[in-house]
Amino acid sequence: MTDALAKSWRGWLFPLAVLAASEIWFLFNPILSDTLAPPSRIVLGAVDIVTDGTFLRTTYQTLFAAAAGLLIGMIAGTAGGVLIGLMRTADRLSSWSVEMLRPIPSVALIPLSLLTFGYGYRMEYAVVAWATFWPFLILTQHALKQIDVRLIEVSKLMGFGIFSRIFKIMLPAAAPRLFTALRLAVGLSLVVSVTVEIAANPQGLGYGLMVAQESLRPDRMFALLIWVGILGWAINYFLVRIEGRLFAHRTPGLMADA
Amino acid sequence: MIRFRITDIVLGVGGLIALLLLWHLVTALELISRVFLPSPAATIAALEWGLVNGDLLPQTLATVNRMVQGWLLASFVAIAIGSLIGVSAVARAYIQPTLEFLRPLPASAIIPVAISIFGLNATMVLGVVVFGAVWPTLLGTIHGFAHVEPRLVEVSRLLQMSRWEFIYKIGLPNAVPDILAGMRLSLTVALILAVVGELLTAQEGLGTAVLHAARSYRAADLYAGILLLGMIGLVSNYGLAIADKRILAWKS
Amino acid sequence: MAAASTAIELKDVSLSFGSNEILTGIGMSVEPGEFVCVIGASGSGKTTLLRMIAGLLPPTSGQVLLHGRPVRAPTRKVAVVFQDYGRALLPWRRAYANVSLPLEASGMPSRDRPKRIRELLAKVGLAGHENKFPGQLSGGMQQRLQIARSLAQEPDTLLMDEPFGALDAMTRQTLQDEVLRLVAERRTTVFFVTHDIEEALYLGDRVVALDSNPGRIAYDIKVPLPRPRDQLTTREHPEFLRLRREMFEIMNRIHA
Repeated sequence: MTDALAKSWRGWLFPLAVLAASEIWFLFNPILSDTLAPPSRIVLGAVDIVTDGTFLRTTYQTLFAAAAGLLIGMIAGTAGGVLIGLMRTADRLSSWSVEMLRPIPSVALIPLSLLTFGYGYRMEYAVVAWATFWPFLILTQHALKQIDVRLIEVSKLMGFGIFSRIFKIMLPAAAPRLFTALRLAVGLSLVVSVTVEIAANPQGLGYGLMVAQESLRPDRMFALLIWVGILGWAINYFLVRIEGRLFAHRTPGLMADA
Repeated sequence: MIRFRITDIVLGVGGLIALLLLWHLVTALELISRVFLPSPAATIAALEWGLVNGDLLPQTLATVNRMVQGWLLASFVAIAIGSLIGVSAVARAYIQPTLEFLRPLPASAIIPVAISIFGLNATMVLGVVVFGAVWPTLLGTIHGFAHVEPRLVEVSRLLQMSRWEFIYKIGLPNAVPDILAGMRLSLTVALILAVVGELLTAQEGLGTAVLHAARSYRAADLYAGILLLGMIGLVSNYGLAIADKRILAWKS
Repeated sequence: MAAASTAIELKDVSLSFGSNEILTGIGMSVEPGEFVCVIGASGSGKTTLLRMIAGLLPPTSGQVLLHGRPVRAPTRKVAVVFQDYGRALLPWRRAYANVSLPLEASGMPSRDRPKRIRELLAKVGLAGHENKFPGQLSGGMQQRLQIARSLAQEPDTLLMDEPFGALDAMTRQTLQDEVLRLVAERRTTVFFVTHDIEEALYLGDRVVALDSNPGRIAYDIKVPLPRPRDQLTTREHPEFLRLRREMFEIMNRIHA
């Protein structure tokens, strides 16, 4: 217990020192108040974005688009991953196509999405869907391939039909790895959403950041930036906790681990 | 064994061709408007024309240049700083929590700050690329230096190696796989941020070309640009994978 | 003076981690050139004992002496061979480069090294495998490589921590004979830890049995079997069989 406590204070020292240093630096350099802001003003900026509704509105917009895109990517990617994970033929037929399409960065599709859907939610979650589709596809495939062969043999010997095998044996066996894929994809969906908003889409946290910068309000900009950081960190943190809870009881050997 | 591989290739190529045929069919039957989905033929034509007669080649090179420059600079900084942090348990105790907090932060979110500082220009884009590309390599380097097989630490003590000998003969080679893994991720990030930077600043590059094509409703040019960006991703990935295999030839 | 010529001496050595007593009251001497096998169950502290002699760990009380002098830190004259060879070798260096490591540490000029390395690899039967990475070698070959590396130190004392525990029976027997041959050449003092009674009797001039929780010396038996040892004849020797029965009974009694 004391070990963890000791560990935590050390971690705070560095960022607090940076904040304190920047606060002091601004006392002596007030000129840059158009572009940068000290922690004290950032706090006020935070209050500002909450009180005028920007905080809630932009957060909702980003999270909605990220979630929608994630859902589409997850369903399509996992379904595809199950297909190519279980059927070697499907895997071999699609392998070249996947290798050609996968490297296309999601941001490259922003102009296309803009052309097709115009501004708004659809263009954003379309890009997020593309971005999250691939990790789900590949990681689901890997997760299924790495199930202990023994387990599959046993399930066949027990006379389970293909759907039973998939839903009763294979997906549960692959669940830890599938959850890891989910965790990664959730983080990715947030990153892509914010990126689309910064690059093109006039809504959400990314756009809020750009607006704050353009209107020379660094206090609001940094407040939003810190919020984006907290959001990303918090989502990942809770998913890691849930992951631990869900799979802590897992017996080793269920997955053919490296 | 060889027969096995040829079947893979035949099926893979076959699948790709089937996909292209499907694409052709969809556009030929006008299931999706040509405005949004140009035919494969039109795309290839636009690609050819753009590379031979148009600006696609210099634009591709500009994007690649931006990506590689930022990536190399970021790698240098990341390895230098990462090795110092990684070897010191004390440094890690103070700095790692902050790094863990910053890890999930979208690198693109720093763009407004970068614009504030540098303005809307090439320096800003390079700065953003470097900033974003630093993280995977930095974290990989720290991890690689921090996790040395304890048995090897004992061996170094038994052989009475100096601290520098240990870092050079054991610490660094041990960290190389993690550093390389980080650098591969960093390159992906570098490409993404280079493109985003181009979308925002209209600097010469494929990002700008693609955006311009979209705005002028030139779908074939748009798709040609997207394909080229995919190519950059593909080639850089494979290039690093090959380099990886050679450098890490010792991994059984 | 007899004490000064003793290769290894342990004087009332104890080791505790906090309130955990690992070893207590260990007292023994090993003569130069003697092959001592230490057996005991897990938790008897036999590996800890080895590490103290290696200089990796100081005793909580008592003294560990090498040639009459207290051990404060690892020394080049003492070489260690670990059980987990895969983790003790540098995976990114080829076989010859792994053997080269102690030669670099001792400051041998680089032009003299290739010859010595080739000699050592030939000695352990790895001639022709110089350019392979440890990952490309079998378990037995990796362990030979570790032995070659330890010999590169030209040690007068060799500490071996269950070195053949991770190998199959046939490889184990081959390496047992190799080790006997290698140490006979230079009259190296050997401190060999194992949990295998038969291995201990086959290899050693002496077997020390450790009790557990905490570890302490239960029995110290001389093994007056003729040398050179032979996998067939020695293991069928009546004295071997008698000692074997005696050791089994001792170990059973210890772990009742």
